[in-house]
Amino acid sequence: MKAVDAKESSLYYSKKKDYGPFVYPTFFIMVLVVIFPAIFLYVISLTNYELGRPLSSVEFVGLQNYIRLFSGADRAFWHSIRISLLFMFLATTSQLILGFFIATLLNRKIKFKPLVFGCLIVPITIMPSIAAQIWKLMLDSERGVINYFLSFFDVSVPWLSFGYAYWSVLMVDIWQWTPFMALIIYAGLSSLPVEPYESALIDGATSFQLFRYITLPLLKPLLLLAVVLRSIDALRLFDLPFVLTLGGPGNETEFMSMRVFRLGFFQTNWIGRAAAMAVVLMLCTTIISRFLIWQMRKGKD
Amino acid sequence: MYTNVRYGSSLLKGAKSTAITIAIVIICIAAIFPLFWMISLSLRDIAFAGNPSITYWFANVNLQSYINLFRLRNIQSFLVNSFVISITTTVVSLILGSITAYGMARYNFKKKESMAFFLLSMRMIPAIAAVIPFFVISIFVGILDTRLVLIIAYMTFNIPFTVWMMRGFFEEIPKEVEEAALVDGCSTIGVLIKVVLPLSTPGLMATAIFCIINSWNELIFALFLTTFRAPTLPTTVQMFMSIQGIQWNEMAAVGVISTGPILLFAMFVQRYMVRGLTFGAVKG
Repeated sequence: MKAVDAKESSLYYSKKKDYGPFVYPTFFIMVLVVIFPAIFLYVISLTNYELGRPLSSVEFVGLQNYIRLFSGADRAFWHSIRISLLFMFLATTSQLILGFFIATLLNRKIKFKPLVFGCLIVPITIMPSIAAQIWKLMLDSERGVINYFLSFFDVSVPWLSFGYAYWSVLMVDIWQWTPFMALIIYAGLSSLPVEPYESALIDGATSFQLFRYITLPLLKPLLLLAVVLRSIDALRLFDLPFVLTLGGPGNETEFMSMRVFRLGFFQTNWIGRAAAMAVVLMLCTTIISRFLIWQMRKGKD
Repeated sequence: MYTNVRYGSSLLKGAKSTAITIAIVIICIAAIFPLFWMISLSLRDIAFAGNPSITYWFANVNLQSYINLFRLRNIQSFLVNSFVISITTTVVSLILGSITAYGMARYNFKKKESMAFFLLSMRMIPAIAAVIPFFVISIFVGILDTRLVLIIAYMTFNIPFTVWMMRGFFEEIPKEVEEAALVDGCSTIGVLIKVVLPLSTPGLMATAIFCIINSWNELIFALFLTTFRAPTLPTTVQMFMSIQGIQWNEMAAVGVISTGPILLFAMFVQRYMVRGLTFGAVKG
């Protein structure tokens, strides 16, 4: 044992301190392209910067943009936070449940498995904005193919209009990301050890007990990872509402990202106020990713 | 309970497996129907593009919409921009990220884990927040609407991803292999290039695939930072926003051109996907 240690320390360079050239250049670049812009975002959020106005008119307004957000004067802000959080919850849980269902279906001997996986990869890798575009055509209330199918049952749904748009966006998100959950859970299921199941079966466990006390605990780290990744993506959702509804009708699908967009670049050009909103969004995703990182570190340390 | 399932009547077993097969077929159709619909619309005459009836699904196949896109809407410049930007940002990210990942995999230093997780958290920043300072800064620097600004912007999510993924792959390579090369008088960089990188080709593949897919599909940065000179394929959704409802076959054809290359690519590299989707957590 000692001999091996000695060999390692003499030959191997992991004890030396010359990691700098490997690590620092990239960190310097990341600080330049991420940290510096992030600080700049905070600075912009403290001004009244408006697109199209001369730069000389830009003034620092202190925390005014934030006060406006949180004092209750800006009702659209609270609306966007509420629908974003609800969307995050609904999308993630339904994708988790459906994904689990699909993964258990696949977790057996079936013919043409590569073909099935090929189908499931399509929604994951297709360009989200183009997928939204095609769904927009499919959901068209008069000429869309979905209502054509529904017309056989004498049903017609105004998918992208008031009262329906939010649920349509949710439906497309579920279509796109359920296969992601299914693939990850399938990978987890197929790598589970056999021994705990065998001994539990000898003890006469029911299939529900097997699921509850063996499968779930073993899959927990993976499920947590998938849930947090999906939650962050659902919270910063932009492509789908941008193409499907542009945040409308009214502000029914004005998710947090869409609110930043409409405030800063679309309806008004108030970059300063949009920046404050973006900072709030960034804080929300940071809190969730902190949780992910905390969980991952618990496993690693 | 279990034995019932295993040795139950073959009729019941047959019914169950038929139900499973039907369920899987339905799931597959649901997953790819929009793709089918997009291709079907793109091949239609404009007169039939607005009619969802099944009689027109396969009728009048022609390539007019594609010809229009290339001749009238200059789609080829979008394609070239997308290719150049995705490939360049991926190559740069892989080089920088792999070097850093190697340093993290092979050296022990204080705060290493904190640094790694700090990098990972950068991957989670919402693009809509990052794009505002990028927009303002690139006006000042004068690089707005160039390929360069998108290449840099995409590095913000590709580099952290590369470092995180490649570190995992490097740590799987046995140290003895490298030590042998060191004994033979190889330099540290020589070991990385001649020994470590060839051994982690699957890792590089898995990482590159997701860098390419994520850059190719990225909408927000492309939307805000480019207009005429360097727009990429995702921004084509803007082309039809004002005239929606007129040229459905062209809208669909743009979709086929935009998503086709990546979908074909993904089919070939399927087996690397799961690991990339989970940030390396599942060894696929």
